[in-house]
Amino acid sequence: MKPLKKTPFNKVQHELKARMVDFGGWDLPVWYTSILEEHKAVRSRAGMFDVSHMGRVWVTGKKAGAFLDRLLTKSVPRLEIGDAQLCLLGLEDGGILDDLVVYHVGVERYLVVWNAANIEQKLEWLFRWSGSDPDIIIEDSSSNTLMLAVQGPAVCQLKNLKDLSHLPRFTITETKIGNLSTLVARTGYTGEDGFEIITDAANALPLWESFIEQGVKPCGLGARDSLRLEAGMMLYGHDMDTHTNPFEAGLGWLVDLEKDDFIGKNALLEIKHRGVNRKLVGFQMDGREITRSEYKILKSGQEVGQVTSGGYSPSLRIGIGLGYVPIELTAIGTQIEIMIRNKPVPAHIVNRRFYKGGASNEPQRI
Amino acid sequence: MNPKGYKYTQEHEWICPEPGNTGKVGITDYAQSELGDVVFLDLPSPGTQVEQLKKMGEIESVKAVSDLFAPVSGRVLEINQAAIDEPGLVNQDPYGDGWLVRLELSNTSELDALMDSDKYDEFVARLSEEESE
Repeated sequence: MKPLKKTPFNKVQHELKARMVDFGGWDLPVWYTSILEEHKAVRSRAGMFDVSHMGRVWVTGKKAGAFLDRLLTKSVPRLEIGDAQLCLLGLEDGGILDDLVVYHVGVERYLVVWNAANIEQKLEWLFRWSGSDPDIIIEDSSSNTLMLAVQGPAVCQLKNLKDLSHLPRFTITETKIGNLSTLVARTGYTGEDGFEIITDAANALPLWESFIEQGVKPCGLGARDSLRLEAGMMLYGHDMDTHTNPFEAGLGWLVDLEKDDFIGKNALLEIKHRGVNRKLVGFQMDGREITRSEYKILKSGQEVGQVTSGGYSPSLRIGIGLGYVPIELTAIGTQIEIMIRNKPVPAHIVNRRFYKGGASNEPQRI
Repeated sequence: MNPKGYKYTQEHEWICPEPGNTGKVGITDYAQSELGDVVFLDLPSPGTQVEQLKKMGEIESVKAVSDLFAPVSGRVLEINQAAIDEPGLVNQDPYGDGWLVRLELSNTSELDALMDSDKYDEFVARLSEEESE
């Protein structure tokens, strides 16, 4: 067995006796004290997540913007310096290789933050399309930097973040936190206001301590998952993958078919023209049972799809999930059943944004 | 420390024998801390016959679904409605208010196959050591 990879916060996580798990080859906390407590901390005040396992790749050089524009489903030249954009890394056949955020940090300097899964495959993809062009420089900085997400309605009251309260959502800036040089983005994956901080791996401890001192609660992967699911945000590898197209995933708004040629454009035009026959929906259990990923979705006893994300919603105190169903079953209120313990259990389709509090004016996030 | 007088399974259930061949059953403190926040209980209905060390229900935490095993064979007399309504009781008070079912034992000698509190303390200590390695 390969030894697990460790983030710069690994030592402090073990000192706090966090419950650690093997998360795609990373030694990461699933919770520190309790998923419910951590979830609540982020919904009511502030929590912090070590997200250093996510990939951080710099794309620079004279043709950096044009190169990314060819690979991504949204227009990159339209991004001003400081802008961040959620978009898809698409395959030629319209499948999704990843969802990622591209940050326009400086003149022909872009930072791509993508999911931890399949990093080698994605880097290969980038290198394949960049060829040996000296004007496109691709540099994975994941191992010498860290990423900490500080999330919750009170983040702008924290003394070392309050100067950043003017930073608009979905933008990034180079700034100091205390005396640490950082990149700070007003982004997140919780449905709350928040910042994501990228800095040298060596800054891990002082950064962590500065937030601990202010009562920011360390949060693990468990709360990260329950928070994003409640906010209706999708998880790559579960809710979408290389076999799903953006339109059935409800991500058509991340595809700019008006822009010049990009990888997958022809396939996506055709899919859009043809229409989709299934769609990702949100659903809620009628009773108290909890739905889980990979459970079957039924309609009148017939299997019609599968749950792609499911779990207990701490805010709504009920089981919620995402899954693909035939297009005729996607209307809000439609009754379905979820197969739980070999029994069909009633549920119904609801708006995918299950939790409606939080950062409500967030048009750029799913 | 796990309560004296209770008996324990390797699957981390406990049974507290009562006079008259009955006993309350729950999961141990170790089990609840491993599971994390319990949010749903699927318990056998009263009247159900259960068999020693066979699955009799499920416990769901935020993170995972786990099987609940019967520590002894018998008939389910009662289930803890308070814990069904408020599954967090299992985390807060696993040996008291967070009990799960009351059984009528069909064979009290089955209790001899279970660990007493000293043995279970050791068993858990060993598991925790392995985990921290």
